[in-house]
Amino acid sequence: MKLTLHIWRQKNTNAKGHFETYIMDNVIEDMSFLEMLDVLNERLILEGKEPVAFDHDCREGICGACSLTINGIPHGPEKGTTTCQLHMRKFKDGDEIWIEPFRARAFPVIKDLIVDRSAFDRIIQAGGFISVNTGQAPEANSILVPKKNADTAMDAAQCIGCGACVAACPNGAAMLFVAAKVSHFAYLPQGQPERKLRVLKMVEQMQKDGFGNCSNYYECEAACPKQISVKFIALMNRDYLKASFSDEKSELIRNQLA
Amino acid sequence: MSLFGYLRSTILSKVVMAITGAVLVLYVIVHTAGNMLIFIGKDSLNSYSAFLHSLGPILWIIRAVLILSAILHIITSIKLKFENLAAKPSKYAVKNYLKAKLSSRTMIWTGIMILSFVVYHLLHFTFRTTNPQHYYPEFYQPHNAVSSIIIERFDVYRMVVLGFQNPLISIVYIVGVILVGFHLDHAIQSMFQTLGYNQKHYFPTIQKCSTTLAIIIVLCLVSIPISVLLGFIGGEI
Ligand code: HEM
Ligand code: FES
Repeated sequence: MKLTLHIWRQKNTNAKGHFETYIMDNVIEDMSFLEMLDVLNERLILEGKEPVAFDHDCREGICGACSLTINGIPHGPEKGTTTCQLHMRKFKDGDEIWIEPFRARAFPVIKDLIVDRSAFDRIIQAGGFISVNTGQAPEANSILVPKKNADTAMDAAQCIGCGACVAACPNGAAMLFVAAKVSHFAYLPQGQPERKLRVLKMVEQMQKDGFGNCSNYYECEAACPKQISVKFIALMNRDYLKASFSDEKSELIRNQLA
Repeated sequence: MSLFGYLRSTILSKVVMAITGAVLVLYVIVHTAGNMLIFIGKDSLNSYSAFLHSLGPILWIIRAVLILSAILHIITSIKLKFENLAAKPSKYAVKNYLKAKLSSRTMIWTGIMILSFVVYHLLHFTFRTTNPQHYYPEFYQPHNAVSSIIIERFDVYRMVVLGFQNPLISIVYIVGVILVGFHLDHAIQSMFQTLGYNQKHYFPTIQKCSTTLAIIIVLCLVSIPISVLLGFIGGEI
């Protein structure tokens, strides 16, 4: 099939970006979206032009490296699917496709479609550790986890940290990502000792990195390739509120003053 | 922590939006229910108004809570909006919204328009400065009075009817109330989500109730100017 691509090109973080239009003549339905871009890049290299820079790694939908906002939706039109798992059969002959980077202040563009998502790493670091013994795997039944809690924790732990929630949010907020990371420990006994400190510190780091506030648009949930629910944001708000009036909070303030 | 210390926290700011919003929503519900007395008749509405004014200090406590809520709600919303605009400096050339409704995307604009409407509404019906020719006392004899005493009280009914007989004033109210409805369509369910009440089994119902309640409030309030314009109420004054 024949497609018209409008792709965002930007030399570096400080350069002004613009759209460039490419006509793709022989797109095969079985190609993934990224394979289609590979074909384009091979052509650009043969023509002696700069290929389009985009992020990818596993191409199996599990690493969270791929990004791209396709026709205004992070990871494109297919629900619950990363860009690397999106196939060209979801498009029709003659379609026009707008391909943009994930846009948010906290995700500066590095080049073309690649953005710097290291703010997420700083949030994870701010979350700190959980207190478990290292060494041999512990006896599985020594800490009991109710099945329901284990399932909910796993729902939250599905987050691959791709940043589609931030890209989809009109406010560039990272609440769904942080909520998923906070919740996946909040539902497990191993996460309890540092529970309050963790939510306080991760939210604080999220603010420092320049993400926006939540307006409950629920765009994040709709765009999430792992379909993580905004109910985790509600849980995080509850946890944060409790933690705000706890000893952990006063300790945090005291340490900051010292 | 000072009174405005919460503004430094994104989540506490949202919690303040939700709690002050809840106070305002409760007020709107009670106010709407009270206004429906106009359909029972002149006496019901005027006695209700006289009763509210007889509350004295309690009325002032209620007013203080409402004013404080409104101020915090507005200050917080403006802070949130500026931060949100700054956090998304470049917009998409193409944007497809999946779940964000028109009502959720226009909260600040409906909010600002509601504020101007509320200011006009207060000048019109509370401070009574915009239409001096509509403000009359009513001389009224209680049914169960032993002697034939006559009480003077303010004629709210007449003020409302004379006001809404002016199509321009009616249109301002109809538009203002529809804007409130739009704001509430998103706001009521948002409040539950912000305060952490989102369970799989109840939240879809809360979202439906949010829209339904907003529509009920709009229909109730809009019915008053429409009934006056069509002559269903107020013929006797
Ligand atoms: C009758 C008056 C009003 C009522 C009953 C009301 C109610 C509410 C409620 C319940 C919320 C939801 C809070 C949440 O997200 O958890 C809300 C949000 C909001 N209100 Fe109001 N409000 C009123 C007037 C105003 C005014 C006058 C403004 C602005 C000048 C305003 C601006 C906003 C904004 C911007 C939000 C969304 C905040 C965000 O999520 O980022 N509101 N309102
Ligand atoms: S490349 Fe790993 S999830 Fe898409």
